[in-house]
Parts: sequence; structure tokens; C-alpha cells
Amino acid sequence: MSELLEQFSAPPLIELESDLEALRKHAQKVLMQHGFPQRKTEAWKYTPIAALERRDWSSDGPDESAARTESIELPFDAHRIPVHNGQIDTSQLNEIDGLHIEPLRAEQIDTSAYVDHDPSDAFAWLNLARLEQGICIRVTHTLERPLALQFSSSDQFKQAAHPRIRIELAEGVEATLFEQHRLHGSGLINLVMDLQLAAGSSLQHLMQRQNDESALIARTEAQLEQAAHYQAYVLDLGGALTRQDLKVHLNESRARTRIHGVAALKDKQLVDYHTAIQHRVGPSHSEEDFRILADNHSMGVFNGRIHMLPGADDSHSDMNTANLLLSEHARINTKPELEIHAEEVTASHGATVGQLEEAARFYLRSRGLNDAEALALLKFGFAAAAFDALESEPLRQWFTDRLKQAL
Amino acid sequence: MLKINNLHVQVGDKDILKGLNLEVGPGEVHAIMGPNGSGKSTLGYSLAGRDGYEVTDGSVLFDGQNLLELEAEERAAAGLFLAFQYPVEIPGVNNAYFLRAALNAQRKARGEDEVDSIDFLRAVREQLKALQMDDSLLKRAVNEGFSGGEKKRNEMVQMAVLQPKLAILDETDSGLDIDALKLVAEGVNRLRNDERSFVVITHYQRLLEHLVPDQVHVLSNGRIVESGGRELAERLEQEGYGFLSPEEDAA
Ligand SMILES: Nc1ncnc2c1ncn2[C@@H]1O[C@H](COP(=O)(O)OP(=O)(O)OP(=O)(O)O)[C@@H](O)[C@H]1O
Ligand SMILES: [Mg+2]
Repeated sequence: MSELLEQFSAPPLIELESDLEALRKHAQKVLMQHGFPQRKTEAWKYTPIAALERRDWSSDGPDESAARTESIELPFDAHRIPVHNGQIDTSQLNEIDGLHIEPLRAEQIDTSAYVDHDPSDAFAWLNLARLEQGICIRVTHTLERPLALQFSSSDQFKQAAHPRIRIELAEGVEATLFEQHRLHGSGLINLVMDLQLAAGSSLQHLMQRQNDESALIARTEAQLEQAAHYQAYVLDLGGALTRQDLKVHLNESRARTRIHGVAALKDKQLVDYHTAIQHRVGPSHSEEDFRILADNHSMGVFNGRIHMLPGADDSHSDMNTANLLLSEHARINTKPELEIHAEEVTASHGATVGQLEEAARFYLRSRGLNDAEALALLKFGFAAAAFDALESEPLRQWFTDRLKQAL
Repeated sequence: MLKINNLHVQVGDKDILKGLNLEVGPGEVHAIMGPNGSGKSTLGYSLAGRDGYEVTDGSVLFDGQNLLELEAEERAAAGLFLAFQYPVEIPGVNNAYFLRAALNAQRKARGEDEVDSIDFLRAVREQLKALQMDDSLLKRAVNEGFSGGEKKRNEMVQMAVLQPKLAILDETDSGLDIDALKLVAEGVNRLRNDERSFVVITHYQRLLEHLVPDQVHVLSNGRIVESGGRELAERLEQEGYGFLSPEEDAA
């Protein structure tokens, strides 16, 4: 994998202020030492990093199409932050009450959780090693409109980009964050998002992705203070390689989280979810539900880890993953991991991998739906349950409509 | 309406129906009784067009057309309805949505316009009320978590909304309490007219008291071995299937 490192290290970097520069140097050093995940790197064994190595990264340089920004449809008025070919554009966010955009400072980057003795966190280090543009969005008042981070890349996009975004919610603030991805071309977006939820704040984070060849490697890490609430809903409708690490730290009592996700995969698409919920203090509450539908030669991975640390007494956690294999060539790997070191906790987890039942298909057909309609309805019914808990009816509708169209 | 001639059906490698003959005229109600495993549900599934129920011989005419060359959904659109002995749960698909999708699919296949959603809901609510089912069932997933009796009544709601030409009721009365049985019978009777026919598969005489069938048949070992009027059902209720001739049983 040293080639990959060389390729990613090739283009020159713009200079940053000294603290950031030092961080970058440190990250480069860690990367040099341990390189990228190998097949034997447990947390990455299903993510085909090798496919990235085979790509041509040599053509880095000014991208002629950088000016062409695709506008991604959104049925709501939102504060839009386009990120085209990895370039974060905050120009549309001027003078909005309660919203502050600043360049990321070194002290806002916490690497204490990054593994630095093996390649497990190589892409997080890579994001730092190649850091050029990091932003911090502070939300100091509850916003009327959601924030929309809209990631796109052009057909010519062949580069690797490493955007880094930190979002801070002040005490008691409520916010909705849309994160949309429409990546074309054959590059890599290696994204790191840090979410800070101060006491009593609440973030609803809605991710929806529909990429083609360009790869997405995303690490999303949420830190919750007292009674903060983080909800993530993920809908993946394809992409040659999508890796999502979603880490939620319930750092103080009464913090709670719900993370739900659906991936509907076909062709040779791949989604690899690695989630980790850390209950550090009790009582804290988590609920998780991921569903993967894998058709054709696609592959879905779900690795969900719940960790209840000493001190997380009286906490509660529910984790469920349900998966559908729609073709004999598709593959699904699912692994819930529960680690409990606290007292008086309640925790449940379930994992199923199944196929559509002939009886259900026939039942629908006997009522007049043709086979394709019956299939689509069964798949929809299987997956849509993950969005039942979405409180906002228009948002739920938006998600389920996207899903319906894709099935 | 329905003319089954010498029907042979195989499931897996097993011959289940072995030369079944049955004729049901428009507006008629026929009851089919018979021991467990004799092939009653197999008949229902074969007529509804389930994969794996292979017709190896015989013919079925439905409303003048060759039923056997139609796909399951085409049979539904042509007016055939099967109320399942074990209605299937469809997780995540809400009952109202499903019913409307089914009705619209049938209408589309027949070249008709989609139903008006308000008319549709009104019609469904009416049926629910008639079968004394709670409106909340509309929002729940199809049959999921329904009690046995609710599932059976839900089949009757579907039948009433889809308005088939021929309905096959496979043990819809099994598992119903006495009041629910009456409601189901009334539901069937409301739908009865000179055109619409019913094939009612049952183990009990009770439903037939309310429905008053034109004919009662006994299906045994893959064939109709006895036919008669409603008095046949009474006799079966009292004597069981013992009086069937041993050769028929062994055939
Ligand atoms: N998929 C199958 N493979 C093999 N045998 C089957 C299959 N399905 C049904 N059978 C057999 O076919 C025979 C008839 O079954 P069927 O369900 O039609 O009976 P039935 O008359 O409806 O019985 P009941 O009164 O118990 O509902 C039974 O012996 C059953 O075991
Ligand atoms: Mg049966």
C-alpha cells in the first residue's frame, strides 16, 4: 500500500499556520509508519482499498470543471454548503443569525481517539496529513432552516480530496443537518466530520448518498454532553465504494442517540458501515437499526459496536440489523458487538440475514401486483421501517420517496 | 364461471390433485369439504397461479378464458380472488397502501383509471366497519401482529374492496369466534349477486348454515368424490368422512 501513500502524497499542499502544519506533519509521520489498511486489518477487511490503488491518481492538478457545481435537489429551503470536488464553499452562508463559519483551528482537532499503532485509522490520519481546508460551523441559536452539506464531484474528478468539517451546537440548540452526496468521476472524498453537541442540544443528521465510481470514505464522530440528543438517518442508494464510520460518544448522563440506516445496493456497489456507540456515563440511551438490501454482485457490511464503559450504569441500548440478500451473488457481512463493563444496564441486539419469501411474493401477486411491483413493495416494506422513527413527516416522506424510486 | 376438467397438479414430485372436476356457475356458492391433506388448499393455490404448483394435466376455464396460461396477477385482474388459509404478513407495508396498490394494479391491467383516493378510503372504512375492525388496522403493516381472526377478516376486507368475480375462501371460518363467523358470512352474502361466484373451503357446517351453498363437494385424495346439496354437509358433520367408499380413499 506504500504506492497509495506515494500517490496521495504527491501533489503539493498549500501552507497552513504553524499549529496546523505541525499536526499535518505528525499525521504524515503516523501514515508513513503504518501505511494503509491491509486485508488483515480487521476493521477494513471488507473495504476494497486495493481497488483504490489500481486507480490513476497521477493526474492531480487544476480541475477544469471545478467551476461547474451541480445543484443537488432538496425539497426544503436550507442553508446550503456545496462541497464540489472536495472544495467547501460557504459563500452562501453570510450573516445568518446563530450561524458562524470559521476556519478550523488546530486545537479543534482531537486526534486522541485515532489509533496510531496500526493502520486502522489511516484514512483519518490521511485526512489530516493532506489537510488544506477545514471549517468549523458554530450554531449558537436554533436555526429556522436546516443546514445542507451538498457533496458533489464532476465526471472528470479523479483526485483525492480530504475535506474536514466540524459542527458545534451550543447549549440547548436544535438543528437539522442534511448531508447529501452525488459523487461522479473516479476520485476519492475522504471526509472527516466532527460533531460537538453541547448540553441539551439536539442534532438531526440526515445523510443521503447516490454516488457512482468515486469512492467515499467518511468518518463521522459525534461528542455528546449532558442530555444532548444525536439522531442520524442514513440512506445509501449506491456507490462503488462507500465506507462510513459513525462513532457516537455519549460522554455525559442522559445523552442519547438513535442511528438508523438503509443501504439498497445493486451491481457491484459496496457499502461498509462501521458504527461505534460509546456509553461513557450513565444513564445514557442508544438505539440503532441498520438494514442492507444487496442485489446483483453488491456487498454490504455492517459492523456495529456498542461499548458500555465502567460508569455507564443504568444505560440502555438496542441494536438491530436486518439484511436481505436479493441475489445469490450478493454478499452481506454483519457483526454486532456488545461490550459491557457497566452495572444495571439493559442491552439487546439482533442480527438477521434473509431472503424475500416466496409466500409474501405470491400473496401480493394474488392481489394483482406484478412480480416486479411485488418485489419492490416487499423491499420497500423491509427497508422503510428504518425511517418510521423520523418524527418529521415531510422528512420521512422525502426519505421514503427516495427509497421507493430506487427500488 | 369456472370449469375445471380432469385437473392434475404436482407439488415438488408429489401428485396432489389427481383428476379433479368441478363446475361453478355464475352466482353460485359451492362448498368444498374434505380431510386434512386432501388437496383443498392446493386447489386454491393452483387456481390462483402459485409457482411450484405444476399443472400436469387437465384444463381450467374461467369466465371463458384459459386460466392456466395466465400469471397470478393476471388471474387477479381477471377477477379471481383467493382468501388464504394462512394470510401472509408483509412487514413494513401498510394495509391501506397495499390495498390501494392492489386495486390500482388490477384496474390498470383492465384498462381502467386509478381509484379516487377519497372514494377508496371511504369504501375501505365501510368494509372495516361492517366487519367490526378497527380503523387503526389500515395504518398497520399487512397482517403483521394481527390476531388469527383479524387476519381472516382482513382477507374479507380485501375481497370486498377488490370485488372479484370468483372468490375462493380457504378455511376463512377457521379460527373465527362465533360473532366474527357471522360477520364474515354476512360479508360474503352482501357480495352475492347473480354474477359473482364463491368456492368455500371449510371443515365445518356452521359457516354453510349462514351461506346456504348451492352445492357441497367432498375432496378426498386429490379428487371430488362426492357432491350433493347442503344435506351432504350435515351428514359429514355427523358422520365424518368414514362413509366415503374405501376404494375412493385409497385411489
Ligand atoms: N410444497 C409441498 N411439498 C410437498 N408436499 C406438499 C407441498 N404442499 C402441500 N403438500 C402436500 O399436499 C397435500 C395436500 O395439501 P393441502 O394443503 O392442499 O391440503 P388441505 O386439503 O388444504 O389440508 P387442510 O385441511 O389441512 O388445510 C398434503 O399432503 C401436503 O403435505
Ligand atoms: Mg388447506
